[in-house]
Amino acid sequence: MEQWIVVTIVIALYLGLTLTIGLLAGRRSSHSVTGYVAADRSFGLVVMYFVTGASVFSAFAFLGGPGWAYSRGMAVLYILAYGAIGMAPFYWLGPRIASLGRRHGYVTQAQLLTGRFPSRNLSALIALLSLIAFVPYITVQMRGAGIVIEAVTDGHVPLWLGALVAYGIVIVYVLSAGAMAVGWTNTFQGVFMVVIAWTLGLYLPYRLYGGIGPMFERIAEARPEMLVPPGLDGTGAPWTWGAFSTFILVSAIGLMMWPHLFMKAFTAKDDDTMRRTVILFPTFQLFLIPVFLIGFSGVLFTSAPPAPDFILPHMILETRLPAVVVGLFCAGALSASMSTGDALLHASASVFVEDGVAKYTVLNDHQQRLLMRVVVLVTGAVAYFFALDPDSSLVLLLASAYGIISQFAPPVVAALYWRRATTSGVVAGLVAGTATAFFFWRFAALKPLDMHEGVIGLLVHVPVLVAVSLMTPKQDPELVERFVS
Amino acid sequence: MKLRTARTLTGAYLVAALVFVTWPGLLPFARIEPLVLGLPFSMAWIAGWVIGVLVVLVLLDRVEKRHRDGGDD
Repeated sequence: MEQWIVVTIVIALYLGLTLTIGLLAGRRSSHSVTGYVAADRSFGLVVMYFVTGASVFSAFAFLGGPGWAYSRGMAVLYILAYGAIGMAPFYWLGPRIASLGRRHGYVTQAQLLTGRFPSRNLSALIALLSLIAFVPYITVQMRGAGIVIEAVTDGHVPLWLGALVAYGIVIVYVLSAGAMAVGWTNTFQGVFMVVIAWTLGLYLPYRLYGGIGPMFERIAEARPEMLVPPGLDGTGAPWTWGAFSTFILVSAIGLMMWPHLFMKAFTAKDDDTMRRTVILFPTFQLFLIPVFLIGFSGVLFTSAPPAPDFILPHMILETRLPAVVVGLFCAGALSASMSTGDALLHASASVFVEDGVAKYTVLNDHQQRLLMRVVVLVTGAVAYFFALDPDSSLVLLLASAYGIISQFAPPVVAALYWRRATTSGVVAGLVAGTATAFFFWRFAALKPLDMHEGVIGLLVHVPVLVAVSLMTPKQDPELVERFVS
Repeated sequence: MKLRTARTLTGAYLVAALVFVTWPGLLPFARIEPLVLGLPFSMAWIAGWVIGVLVVLVLLDRVEKRHRDGGDD
């Protein structure tokens, strides 16, 4: 049998299994909004661990990680550096958010924020910004899935079809079952991608160079500039310390502010589960190391991929691995893409309906669920449209998505820890911060010290939040007491 | 250990981690040699801080748990 046929069969089996797990999980979920959005707050440790890990590590890490290691060397360390640091504060924040969620019935980030800062425009603003940040992120996942399938099937399954099938399946189980399906499929997908990453990341350096140490010794001789942080930029020139450091900073601050991750706090069964998920997260983070090794193993390889992001499938095809292994790898990469993509689609619908539409019209539970499903379809279609455009500059869009998302951090911290914060202060800060980030994203040449625009945004955001809060009347102490204790 | 001390130390560790994986804290460690378990030094250095987060959180959790269970903090 030809290799690509075997590969396609393995992928088909994998996709079938994912769909089955997703649909079966959905049957356990109640038909309420809490059921759809927060899985009836039922996730135990194992599910939470993999849900969190698998939604954090996406096609960006699985394909972009090796791509960066291959083309930009130690610049890739920024991805390793921020996760654990960004997640750790959730040891305290998570249980507080969860307990507020249980007490007041919150299932989204904006509900929590507008609970403390009552303003439906704030809610709509958060919903809008979340959606803007989500679309490029989903597009990256779809394109990642399409790229992998096209590469390993020798072009027999083109990008448009691969992305369509993979995301058709995601949409089916997200539509039918919501958070419960996302949870259980991610558990399956998380296990899968971790196993694939470690196996391949250790295997390739041994196969090609006789070990990890010998591989880096060879690279150190031939391309020493790659192995010293901050590594290289996209053109092969040295990257700046300003960019390297602020990428870490903005990602650490923004990581848990992604609505699809933040909302996970509402799905945990109890506080201990969530704390343990946070504690164990660094173990998931380390899985980036073999992912990087895959990229580094390509640096001195005889042939080059068409683009850095293709390095992983390229290495697998060029080293002539058995077809079943290629198929399994492909399933691992699809896991990375789909497990983030499903969470993103699910969250975008929840956020748009709960925090946008529902603030302006009254919807019953049934109408809300229906509308959420429509939004999943529309968002999926929009992202798919962009995914097919070969010239779309997604990495740039994705980087600036962090510029937006990190602006949610000051309001969250203010809501939970600062008694004197006011609604006007929070809205003013959010508008100022986002506008600043957008400005420096648009006019990147003006950025001081090559800093990430999100960090510049925060430098404006926080003083505005504080100043406007202090200039406006204090909030009702009874309201404040419910959030700050 | 008192709860407050444990929280302060954890926070201090996280701030230190952030400083030592970015400029300027990373500067002295931004080198290739010596390889650690085959990895360039800077990569092992950052991985070390990540593992440190795990250790610190486990220790913090023990203190927090004792406090939650109503023992003396």
